[in-house]
Amino acid sequence: MKNFKAIVDVGLKPTIKDIKAITLADAVEQITDVKNFHCKLQNRYILEFSAQNRDTAQKTVQLIAEEILANSVIEEYEIHWVDLNE
Amino acid sequence: MSSINAGIITFLGTNCEQDTRRACELFGWRAEYIWQDERINKKYDVIFLPGGFSYGDHISSGRIAKLAPAVQSLPVGETLIVGICNGFQILCEAKLLSGALTYNENLKFISRVVPLEFLGEVIHIPVAHHQGNYISCENMSEEVILRYTENINGSDERIAGIYNREKKIISMMPHPERAVYSELGLTDGRKIFEFIENEI
Repeated sequence: MKNFKAIVDVGLKPTIKDIKAITLADAVEQITDVKNFHCKLQNRYILEFSAQNRDTAQKTVQLIAEEILANSVIEEYEIHWVDLNE
Repeated sequence: MSSINAGIITFLGTNCEQDTRRACELFGWRAEYIWQDERINKKYDVIFLPGGFSYGDHISSGRIAKLAPAVQSLPVGETLIVGICNGFQILCEAKLLSGALTYNENLKFISRVVPLEFLGEVIHIPVAHHQGNYISCENMSEEVILRYTENINGSDERIAGIYNREKKIISMMPHPERAVYSELGLTDGRKIFEFIENEI
């Protein structure tokens, strides 16, 4: 078994109104002089586990992301792998 | 005495199962609870997924409860299934209904009686939710059966409740089970239960 670490970032799809991001942008424009401020909110999940190989690990993280961490109707996700051998 | 048998699935964090049961019993239905970890093998006339905060709404409302054996073994298309509030969220998360429920437009928990369009009339039923903002999908196969008369939470087209006739699934964010006893001041929820009874 090998050890793996993956970071999964989940946020709303661009077509879905990101109400929290809009609230943040309004607040930023109240306290700064910046214009056209845009932001995107995401939840970050850090997953550490052991698996037989990288292929199994990738399939596992994809399954977790699609079934538990994100709702594909309104959310999208990105997976970033951390090399534990560094 | 009605011969209707109702099953009410309870999850860790469900809090409306007793109200749902009492509403069923008001109509003379027999009602019993189904624990989340049980697979549904028994024949019911209607199965409710009641309101509450299953698994504390962790990750997102209904996200974990959809994995429960009771949900995975729902007799879709055979028995009428009714999701109320958290039940609606669970059924959407399980992809048994199209669309998704996300945070209310004002980011606040909304708990109040709201006017709704239902079968050509306006009825009043309580809502109590944080994630009741319904995002619909293109070409949704569900029929809208309940619609807020005004923008309550940001839902697309003011959708409050939908019905997939093929799958025999009715779901809504309002709580009709909280509006059946005149002692509590509201009885319009009876109209929803009458509708459910007719659809069984």
